[in-house]
Amino acid sequence: MKNVPIDLPIPTEDLVSCVSCGLCLPHCPTYRVTQEESASPRGRIALMKQAHHDGVVDDEFVEFMDTCIQCRGCETACPAGVQFGSMMETTREALATQTRYQPWWARLGYRTLGWQKALRAGSALIALLQRFRLVPQKLGLPSIPIIQRPLVSSGNDVWLFTGCIMDAWMRDTHRAVQRVLESTGAGIAFPDKRANCCGALHVHAGLAPEARRLALRTMQAFPGDAPILVDSAGCGAQLKDYGHLLDSDAAREFSERVLDVHEWLAQRLDDLPEKTGLSPRIVVQDPCHLRHVQRAHESVYQVLGRYVEAVSLDDDGLCCGAGGAYSTFHPQIASDVRDRKIRAIEEIQAEEVASANPGCLLHLRSGGLEVRHPLEIVDGLIKKDE
Amino acid sequence: MVHKSADKKLLSELRSFLGDRARDGDFELGLYAKDGSVLKGDPMIVCLPTSTEEVQQIILACRRYDRPFLARGSGTGLAGGAVPVGDPVVIATAKMNKILDIDIDNRIAWVEPGVLNLDLSRELSPLGFHFAPDPSSQQVCSIGGNVANNSGGPHCLAYGVTSAHVAAIEVVLPDGRVALLGDLTAESPGYDLRGLFIGSEGTMGVATKVAVRLTPNPPEVRTLLLDFADVRDGAAAVSSIIANGLIPAALEMMDQRAIEIVEAFVNAGYPTEADAVLLVELDGLPGGVEHGVEVVRAVANRHQVGSVRVAADDAERALLWKGRKNAFGAVARIKPDYYLHDTVVPRGKLVEVLEKVYQIADAYDLIAVNVFHAGDGNLHPILAYDSEEKGVLERVQAAGRAIVTASIEAGGVLSGEHGIGLEKRDYMGMLFSAHDMATQDLVREAFDPDGFANPLKVLPSGSRCSDSFGQHVPDGAWV
Repeated sequence: MKNVPIDLPIPTEDLVSCVSCGLCLPHCPTYRVTQEESASPRGRIALMKQAHHDGVVDDEFVEFMDTCIQCRGCETACPAGVQFGSMMETTREALATQTRYQPWWARLGYRTLGWQKALRAGSALIALLQRFRLVPQKLGLPSIPIIQRPLVSSGNDVWLFTGCIMDAWMRDTHRAVQRVLESTGAGIAFPDKRANCCGALHVHAGLAPEARRLALRTMQAFPGDAPILVDSAGCGAQLKDYGHLLDSDAAREFSERVLDVHEWLAQRLDDLPEKTGLSPRIVVQDPCHLRHVQRAHESVYQVLGRYVEAVSLDDDGLCCGAGGAYSTFHPQIASDVRDRKIRAIEEIQAEEVASANPGCLLHLRSGGLEVRHPLEIVDGLIKKDE
Repeated sequence: MVHKSADKKLLSELRSFLGDRARDGDFELGLYAKDGSVLKGDPMIVCLPTSTEEVQQIILACRRYDRPFLARGSGTGLAGGAVPVGDPVVIATAKMNKILDIDIDNRIAWVEPGVLNLDLSRELSPLGFHFAPDPSSQQVCSIGGNVANNSGGPHCLAYGVTSAHVAAIEVVLPDGRVALLGDLTAESPGYDLRGLFIGSEGTMGVATKVAVRLTPNPPEVRTLLLDFADVRDGAAAVSSIIANGLIPAALEMMDQRAIEIVEAFVNAGYPTEADAVLLVELDGLPGGVEHGVEVVRAVANRHQVGSVRVAADDAERALLWKGRKNAFGAVARIKPDYYLHDTVVPRGKLVEVLEKVYQIADAYDLIAVNVFHAGDGNLHPILAYDSEEKGVLERVQAAGRAIVTASIEAGGVLSGEHGIGLEKRDYMGMLFSAHDMATQDLVREAFDPDGFANPLKVLPSGSRCSDSFGQHVPDGAWV
């Protein structure tokens, strides 16, 4: 498309908050692999300023916006506290509502995430194909069961959020998390199917109206005031942002109840079973939505550190390239970004990798690494000791 | 965007060997119109080469089509050195970012110009070495940019600036020939063309490979944070520390406003109530460092220091430095734009010039923030403003000029480490006579007789006759 009119409703004070010092550049995964201004936070903000001023965009502009992984590593790096994430979300929403940015098939794909029957049917089909070895190994998908055993609630002290893809493909991780939570004496409640998609991927894609619909539905699945624990960093960041997304008191109260599962456990380290036996050396990959968005990544080290030698990476929390659906739409950049992460991981001699986000976990696995959720690792160590 | 047919031909010629790494999209060109300064230009085409040969081919093509060119590193310069004026082709060296060879025996590493300063030091760290120049923009600025500006940084007080840490440079000269300036021996005969090239801000060609000297990491490092209720006591302490025979590795000062914005970003426990803080780093053998700490303590006490905090470990040290090195960007917490000056004054005149800076800012109704390399008298007064305010740019420029004047009157110079670029080009006459500048112009012409390399920079128009690509800092260059 050429010179399509657009109204970019980003507040001017947000746009001018960037002084273009460039300190964000090395913390941006797409700048790191391209070394191009157009793939940097400073560059993207300058482009937004331009589009905001001129009121027109073209394919070039859309591509520069679409290649952002939305990891928000630039926000942690920015000395001026520029709110890059919300500017990018506003830009994508404007593109999706005012231009042909998201085609019908992409919209349908996103819609399926919140549509449990379709997601289950699709997953069962993949599971069947896996049995006939028709799914390439390099996709790094977990072995998906054809028939899913249900999750069983054990009380109502805390909720455990289940989500869409993670519940369809990695329900065993939820089970492991449940066991670790229960080892502190807590009873776990699971939400009904209204909580089967948080809407994070929709916000990233600019489909905010759909995300708001999903958010309202999700909130209904968590009555009462028990804490809502999340074992997926991306979903947790989204649930914590409902207050901002829906701009209502109910949503703000809901978001207050949300904690990453490690945050909750880190406050109860003494309730966890004692550490015995060996401490394997585990390298921890900080998911961006835990480190840069929730800013809660330290809690993973606190919990994991009780059972293993948890080693951090020396890369300032640079993104791994997964970015929710990003690796599907931008496989080349996602793979280049991942190569950098893999090099950093391989420099550390460790037995396996822990990642508290299903997207990162699958993306790193498809790069050939052994990766598990931190609490799956903990669960394994607790079980052995019993 | 490229319009004229000659430029279209140039673009297609560049594309014949660069492929899609020669760009002319409207949105993208806009991104290369600015660097880290407040000035803005207008690039004709942006090239993203990956080798010396490509840089050479770009320069030869530019010559054939009578187009000037300009090299750009990470685009963090603060004097507009990489702002394209005179419709040049931008040669962005960011993709040339390989560390080619590390030779520990000779303490030399060959690197491409796009390698980031901190990436290099991190790569060297396990081997026990680092690259000494460490500008505040260290995490993002490139070695090529450091060479162009002869960059400094806090630790240059003890270790010297970039020129002391570069042994040799491979450059593509403005006529397209490739030359090696300098060599790897300690003493080299003949004129020091390497030294001439370093700090020439891209007016003598494009660096394509740099042989940097490796500095061993010190066995012991101590970082101290001193706070003062009066900025004058802090400034006086700076002179006293050095007068006592101590050369700290770094000796930095921040005033109250700087402390406040920096603390809001890093939460390092900077004392936000203090009028000024000094960040003092001592390194070397443990005994010497311990002695240094005692000297600093004693001097500070004589100058009414509030407290002396010694960083307990590497993490605390890193956090304090993170605050200092992010200060400029953090100015956006006060106002959306800033104009950062870079002058040097004799250490003994620090108090006097600082007071003048505050007076000047007040007189022009602007906010001044001071964060600077106190040890070598390198001031960095920052004027924070909002460019949306009517008439503010004129006030900022007038205040900037007044600050430069005050520094020169105090026996100082125009620029410490950010270069002259576009920003200070027209101030050169405040420091140099017409004869001085004509002589400098002769040197430049020896490298670039036809004025192709980064035109309109460093020397004011009129100091050379072959300045054919335009005359003045263009109206509207200020943003």
